[in-house]
Amino acid sequence: MKPAGNNKKLSISTKVNRLLRDTNRWSVFTLAIVLFLALPILFISVELFAGPGESWDHILDYLLPEYIANSLYLILFCSILVLIFGVSTAWFVSRFNFPLRKQMEWLLILPLAIPSYIVGYAYAGIFDYGGSLALLLRELNLDFIRIDVMNKAGLVFVLSISLFPYVYVSARAFFLNQANNLLEASKMLGVGETKSFFKLMLPLSRPAIVAGLVLVLMEVLNDYGAAKYYGVNTFTTGIFRSWFSLEEPQTAVYLSAILVVIIFALILFEKWQVRKMKFNSTKTNNTQLARRQMRGTKKWLIFSVVFLPVFLGFILPVAQLLYWATLTASTVFNLDFILLSLQSFGIAISAAVITVLFALLLIYFSKWSALHFIKNTARIGVLGYAIPGAVIAIGIMLPTLAVDKWLIKVLAQIGIDSGLLINGTLIALFYAYAVRFLAVAYNPIDSTALKVSESIPDSSKVLGVGPLKTFRKIEFPLIKTGVFSAVILVFIDVMKELPLTLILKPYHIDTLAVKAFEYASDEMVMEASIPSLFIIFTAMIPVIFLNKLLINK
Amino acid sequence: MKKVFLIIVAFSLFTACKNDEKNKETSTEDKAQKEQVVNLYTHRHYKPDQNIIEMFEKETGITVKVTNASADELIQKMKMEGKQSPADVLITVDAGRLHRAKEQGLLQSIKSEKLENRIPSHLQDSDNQWFGITKRARIIAYAKDRVSPEELSTYEDLTSEKWNDKILVRSSSNIYNQSLMASIIANNGEEEAKEWAKGIVNNMARTPKGSDRDQVKAVVAGEGDLAIVNSYYIGKMLNSPDSEEVETAKKIDLFFPNQDGRGTHVNVSGAGVTKYAPNKENAIRFIEFLVSDKAQKEFTTANYEFPVVETVEPVEDIKAWGEFKEDTLSLTKLGENNKKAVLLFDEAGWK
Amino acid sequence: MLTIQSLSKSYDKGKNNALDNVSIHLNAGDVCAIVGESGSGKTTLVRLIAGLERPDEGSISLNGKVIASVKKFVQPEKRKIGLVFQEYALFPHLTISENILYGISKLKNKKKRAQEMLDLVGLSDLGKRYPHQLSGGQQQRVALARALAPEPSLLILDEPFSNLDAMLRMQLRNEVFDIIKKTGVTVLFVTHDTQDALSVADEIMILQNGKVIQKDAAANLYVKPNTLYVASLFGNTVQINKNLQSAFKCPLNENCCHAIRNEKFKVFPTQEGADPKSIDECDYITKAEVIKKVVLGDSIQLLLKLESGEQLSVMTKDSNVADFIYIGFNSKDILEFSEEN
Repeated sequence: MKPAGNNKKLSISTKVNRLLRDTNRWSVFTLAIVLFLALPILFISVELFAGPGESWDHILDYLLPEYIANSLYLILFCSILVLIFGVSTAWFVSRFNFPLRKQMEWLLILPLAIPSYIVGYAYAGIFDYGGSLALLLRELNLDFIRIDVMNKAGLVFVLSISLFPYVYVSARAFFLNQANNLLEASKMLGVGETKSFFKLMLPLSRPAIVAGLVLVLMEVLNDYGAAKYYGVNTFTTGIFRSWFSLEEPQTAVYLSAILVVIIFALILFEKWQVRKMKFNSTKTNNTQLARRQMRGTKKWLIFSVVFLPVFLGFILPVAQLLYWATLTASTVFNLDFILLSLQSFGIAISAAVITVLFALLLIYFSKWSALHFIKNTARIGVLGYAIPGAVIAIGIMLPTLAVDKWLIKVLAQIGIDSGLLINGTLIALFYAYAVRFLAVAYNPIDSTALKVSESIPDSSKVLGVGPLKTFRKIEFPLIKTGVFSAVILVFIDVMKELPLTLILKPYHIDTLAVKAFEYASDEMVMEASIPSLFIIFTAMIPVIFLNKLLINK
Repeated sequence: MKKVFLIIVAFSLFTACKNDEKNKETSTEDKAQKEQVVNLYTHRHYKPDQNIIEMFEKETGITVKVTNASADELIQKMKMEGKQSPADVLITVDAGRLHRAKEQGLLQSIKSEKLENRIPSHLQDSDNQWFGITKRARIIAYAKDRVSPEELSTYEDLTSEKWNDKILVRSSSNIYNQSLMASIIANNGEEEAKEWAKGIVNNMARTPKGSDRDQVKAVVAGEGDLAIVNSYYIGKMLNSPDSEEVETAKKIDLFFPNQDGRGTHVNVSGAGVTKYAPNKENAIRFIEFLVSDKAQKEFTTANYEFPVVETVEPVEDIKAWGEFKEDTLSLTKLGENNKKAVLLFDEAGWK
Repeated sequence: MLTIQSLSKSYDKGKNNALDNVSIHLNAGDVCAIVGESGSGKTTLVRLIAGLERPDEGSISLNGKVIASVKKFVQPEKRKIGLVFQEYALFPHLTISENILYGISKLKNKKKRAQEMLDLVGLSDLGKRYPHQLSGGQQQRVALARALAPEPSLLILDEPFSNLDAMLRMQLRNEVFDIIKKTGVTVLFVTHDTQDALSVADEIMILQNGKVIQKDAAANLYVKPNTLYVASLFGNTVQINKNLQSAFKCPLNENCCHAIRNEKFKVFPTQEGADPKSIDECDYITKAEVIKKVVLGDSIQLLLKLESGEQLSVMTKDSNVADFIYIGFNSKDILEFSEEN
């Protein structure tokens, strides 16, 4: 055939002409944003060329095998547990009617509001010698059997029970919006409820579930507090160890690089999954899943299956925290505390809005850019989620300090004596949050944006309306729920965030997570309970708000 | 619902920004008008520290601005900020980190007779770059019902056969363990230190995990007989708001090892003036205040630490443990040997 | 009015061309249909004209101005082309009126215009409804009204009837084109259905594998198809291969490819020893055994086994068919294509 040969012989001038034709401002903006968000990661990767520190061999010999083994153990078993909790609850809540279902819908998101390390402390406190369980059993005159939760299995449990809502949220979104016709079709073919679920719904919802799972696994791999407390050495504890104990930032960067590779593999896996499943997401059907009314013992059985993760992931740890809070309220609680909570809330909500804005810009600018390779670069922006907060903080400080020093010089020339203008202010902190949590905002927006058929914005353009107005009038109203979910997810993550905040926060600004950590790191777990509870309650407000939003829809 | 939500958002943004503004204003002002401030980078975030800061502010009119983070993170931060660093004083919870800051050129020598005279020489830097402000001992907590104090003698003895499966201790990533190991390297040499670590690993009742308090609880729960812990945690447990924890602490007794030899390993929380301190005078005044009788009393009564000055008695709970002989090894050694300690821990398999 | 010159587009860096060197010319007021199977490149062509894709090579000009080439690209919102999507693409969160007003927000008398459009498509009272409250046919008409409201110089309809069932399809097709005829707009109508194309288009273009293989008036395409493929698009066609040639004893030019439309076969449902006179009406004839009969309403489909062993399927109106029949055709009905196609 001729044409193939023709195309290969395309003159360079044609290619250059096309490149010039297709480069628009959106391409430039996209590149600028990607560069901006990837800057810290770039600065860290440059460190890679310096080679690892002198203890690298030591780490290879003594530590790396354990890090890999433990991290894989966590990935494997957390995946299993998270899938069981997340998918079963999502399915039951969207398919069946049972007592308190409406309440369960949002209660199931709440475990996300508790930082995993706090859940870890709470469970240690429950099963401890002289802990709550022991006290309870003593009251009941029962023998105390001590269950040791502080081990690998315990860590898997703690991480899974506090992170499963990521899977729950994305699976439920799928079941609610897309499942009805397919399920009806399956039933018409004479396939029963259970088989329909396993043979049809589960494979179809796989992209949605995997997207949630990837978020969970990133969190699992990034966990520091709980793993350290439970004595499980992972990549992240290793990064901290080589950076701080061995004083070798380069070695830490090397370990992070391996971690980033693992996470990148997970992201690619997700992409590949979605691509494979693309045929089923082309036509969306927006009819809601019809709920089956459950009666008798069955309804209570389903209720307990749904209630169990809520109980284990939220009620039980919160009860433990409340118990501790009653013991320490007098020493910890005062008016400053309320102000501190408001401050945390303000920081988290602004950070969430900024981060979501970046995600929106990235998604839509790259869409409007006509250059193909630009569309693919947008994904680089989400890598920050894979990198431990402390490492990102350093990655932020390197470039911003350079800018600061330059600014100081420039301002000095015109006679203004200034201090650091970016570092130690909210700007640097928000920048860091945006880099760290872009993926959290990106995924829900991207997946709702995918559901909007391409022809909708296309027809707007054909009707003579430019991309910005099209976004404002057509696309934004259609992806609103995704945007709000993104705001709330980032909000919760920022509320819980620790290492970044510790390093980059301005003086006189504190967050609840910092406060909780200060107590907990000094073995004052009980005193940490009040700030932890405040994190939880502050995070609950938008969660409930989000759910209202989803239901009104 | 929506309106309430918006009002909360607006208000909290306002408080956050206001605080940020306030902070910026003061930092530009103090260049112009020399308003009296001291910027504190500290790893300590205990209640008594806040009280002491308030006392200092009231007494001197100098405002103290606090940045809390772990010592390691603060050191990295200072390194990157370089000459622009706003930090005046760095406080850490162990001597090793202070030594590290000194090695990296982040601290400066200061002249203060008050500090030099009041603090024992082994608890301060030979170049006057840092000074100990409170003292803790790494000691042995044992189950009263299973162990008699006669069986205990030294850190080295913990590796003997009789303690097989009996010892509880936290992870090697903990700085107090690293410092203990560093002191053993300094006293006995690398080879013996490694053997010691291996011996402890052999005798461990379980994989290291949890905090010092958890080790004590595990002793009482019968998982092991001995725990290597920091002295002030026991003080805190005895005064815990949780009555169960108080009961637990009462079931163990404390042993100060190596009394017949070099003495029990001690470490300090310490402070140093930073290299580029914009408010050097205030920084010195602040550190001097930390070793004043008033401050030292607060440290010991509220945080159960040992004072570094002789003029202040330890709080009752601590005094009850009796006087003890402490290892007078220069704490600089802890810093020098810290990395070696971490590497040896890994080689010995101490998780 | 619309001129497309050697337009090419590939989605995989030149390995396969979705559109390959396509040239088209449309005069003002024309109704031109583009017919092709899915994957023939017709959607790509539409998207290129509308400005939703960018050409690799070639150029598109509208009303004498280049709107897309290797060097130049006019944004879709600046092209003033009306496009009705296959899935209508109505904005689900806007009412019908708002949907129609959307493209004419800058017009002075936009409200009036919107109502005119609603009247034109016969949905005068449904302006306040939302798209999901309308039937498929109604949504279709809204999409048309929305596209026509800004008075585009060119209207493109991309498979507008493919989501509808056959009855509605025919009815709507006539309605839509009645409306279009009233406006006098130039129309490019993309479909995979030749019935659609034949019934409304002045001119039809056949697209196959990204290439225009024939462009002609509707009537000519049936009579003089360029290729066997085009012929079979407009009705069942049987290729007269070597075996059939020998079965019917009709030697044909070896350098060409020949075919005959199914309906041109003449069936003689007589008993054995049929009247040879009527058989003489055909140029070529042979005897065949009826293997299977399928009654399709007023006609019957016969599966035949020729004497030579070849199988052939033909239609007849005669319900009285014996087991053995004669079948033949005339040489004037033979379609001849050059071999390379």
